[in-house]
Amino acid sequence: MRVELKNIGKKYEGRENFTIRGVDLVIEDQEFCVILGPSGCGKSTLLRMIAGLNSITEGELLFDGKLMNKVPPKDRDIAMVFQSYALYPHMSVYENMAFSLAMRKESKKLIDERVREAADVLQISEYLYSKPSDISGGQRQRVALGRAMVRKPKVFLMDEPLSNLDAKLREHMRIELVRLHKSLDTTTIYVTHDQTEAMTMASKIILLDQGKIQQVGKPEEFYNRPENLFVAGFIGSPTMNILKGEIRGGSFQSLDRSLNIKPSQEDYELLKGYENKEVYLGIRSERFLPDKEGSLEVLVEVIEMLGKEKLLYTKLGEHSFIISVPGHSQYEEGKKYKFSPDKGALHFFDGESKERIN
Amino acid sequence: MIKKRKKDLYLSDRQPLTPLGKFFLALNYFVLISYSLVILWPLSRMVISAFNGKQGRYISLSGKYEFSFKHFEYLFKETLYLTWVKNTLVIAVATAILTILIVSFTGYAYSRFRFKGRKTSLMTIMLLQTIPTFAGITAYFTLHSIISDFFPFITRQMMLIFIYTGGGIAANTFILKGYMDSISTELDDAAMIDGCSYMQIYKLIIMPIVRPMLAIIALWSFIGPFMDYMLPKALLTKPESYTLAAGLYTLMNNRETLNQPAFAAGGLLTALPIVILFIVLQKELISGLAQGSVKG
Repeated sequence: MRVELKNIGKKYEGRENFTIRGVDLVIEDQEFCVILGPSGCGKSTLLRMIAGLNSITEGELLFDGKLMNKVPPKDRDIAMVFQSYALYPHMSVYENMAFSLAMRKESKKLIDERVREAADVLQISEYLYSKPSDISGGQRQRVALGRAMVRKPKVFLMDEPLSNLDAKLREHMRIELVRLHKSLDTTTIYVTHDQTEAMTMASKIILLDQGKIQQVGKPEEFYNRPENLFVAGFIGSPTMNILKGEIRGGSFQSLDRSLNIKPSQEDYELLKGYENKEVYLGIRSERFLPDKEGSLEVLVEVIEMLGKEKLLYTKLGEHSFIISVPGHSQYEEGKKYKFSPDKGALHFFDGESKERIN
Repeated sequence: MIKKRKKDLYLSDRQPLTPLGKFFLALNYFVLISYSLVILWPLSRMVISAFNGKQGRYISLSGKYEFSFKHFEYLFKETLYLTWVKNTLVIAVATAILTILIVSFTGYAYSRFRFKGRKTSLMTIMLLQTIPTFAGITAYFTLHSIISDFFPFITRQMMLIFIYTGGGIAANTFILKGYMDSISTELDDAAMIDGCSYMQIYKLIIMPIVRPMLAIIALWSFIGPFMDYMLPKALLTKPESYTLAAGLYTLMNNRETLNQPAFAAGGLLTALPIVILFIVLQKELISGLAQGSVKG
């Protein structure tokens, strides 16, 4: 099902300001769409409005072109997986999964069929008659998914479903969720604050901040072409190195004049209008090339060993850079090394609007 | 050999007691044991007197004892004891059911909905609660005379039920609301998406979870009419409509009907329905009390 949001806004009772406002968005059929953002950005509100749990203050919500603003949640043909799983504690796993169908007065036979089918897919058949309190967190997570699946909904809504799992299980469930999404042929809208989840699972990411959409696009676009300074700082770990400076004589100069980085010819064309104006320069940690002739001579202060790579926390005068190098390369704390930035991977942002320039 | 060594192992997680600690422990036990004796002795006198055929109209502490059901016989044959039991049970059951019903609505509403005056109304009811029920006795009289003009079928006993129920609403709403607040609202959301109305959410999801708390509230409301003496004495006029507490008291304060051992016997029997209820609700009560502290 195609989900369309037109100029959606939400203001909670008793609040001064709109929590989110002016959100325009189209989520195509069978897309795995991740709504990403820091806490308090309004992403859960957005999801709850799509689910019908929160009212829509202004704007229109369309499912396949049909207006859904006033339709109660149960008639929207959606299913939702909650952060706390929200399993009914007094019912067995089977009853939990059967509940929504039973409320719809479906036949016992159909309910049984659907529950067993979902339990098979999720490998929870053994626990069908256990209470939620008797099974592990990972299994509860599967039950919550199963409960959503038996309805065969057109839209799956997930509100940070993996945040209560441990790291290993989370990694595993990420892949399972994508596999599940593909096999079910539904639209999935997934809310998270974890950029790794967003980058690995999404076919489309929506990054929200302060109630506004910052960028919409594919994961690689987010990483390689962040549209503004916020996106650049939010996506990627370690965080992108960002320098404030000016364009002088065709090259980037930091404010204290200690750094001078020449952009590539293509970037320079776009930066012409910014002569003597403030701009931000962003460089990802892995885009520093070790270079004996390099222009950046940095002092390595701390080395973090992550296995496949090393993170060098370095200083150059007043500026600090995080540089990642392959894990097997030799660096020592307290020594100076020379690097040069990869000219094809410089991100320039307008000093005032903070929007991308190149 | 091994057995002995096992015995010698010090298994407590606490530090071993110092001599001073041992002294205070002994002191603690002394205080607690003497305190329980103070409570248990009169109770035991009551039980013994109730079965003592040698007792006259007054309970005397002279040593003569003869086992008999004489006082129980007197209670059932010469007094309106069974009527009082019936009255009390009717009032207690009605109070419990009515309280549960009303508190379910109010507790759920205060826990789950945001509305104008939510906080202020909750505070107001709570403050009104500090005025003892008995202080409103004149108001009850006036209310009853007004109400009975319009609805003559409302008896004084029904009035009593309303007073007990009304008196319990505020505190019980508070308790139930607090308990419901600890249940994630995501359950409500999930139920709503699954197709429940608000009433169904309460009936199918919330009520089964708060059942232990409802059991405690029901028990408290049920016990109330058994314990209360003042309101029935003030509101009810005929001995036929008395509750147990008011009725039994006539065996104590009225010179014509005075019979203290029978009073003791009646008191003993009064405990029966409450004990039975306790046993029936035991499982719920214990899980209710335990869940309050440790949430699984």
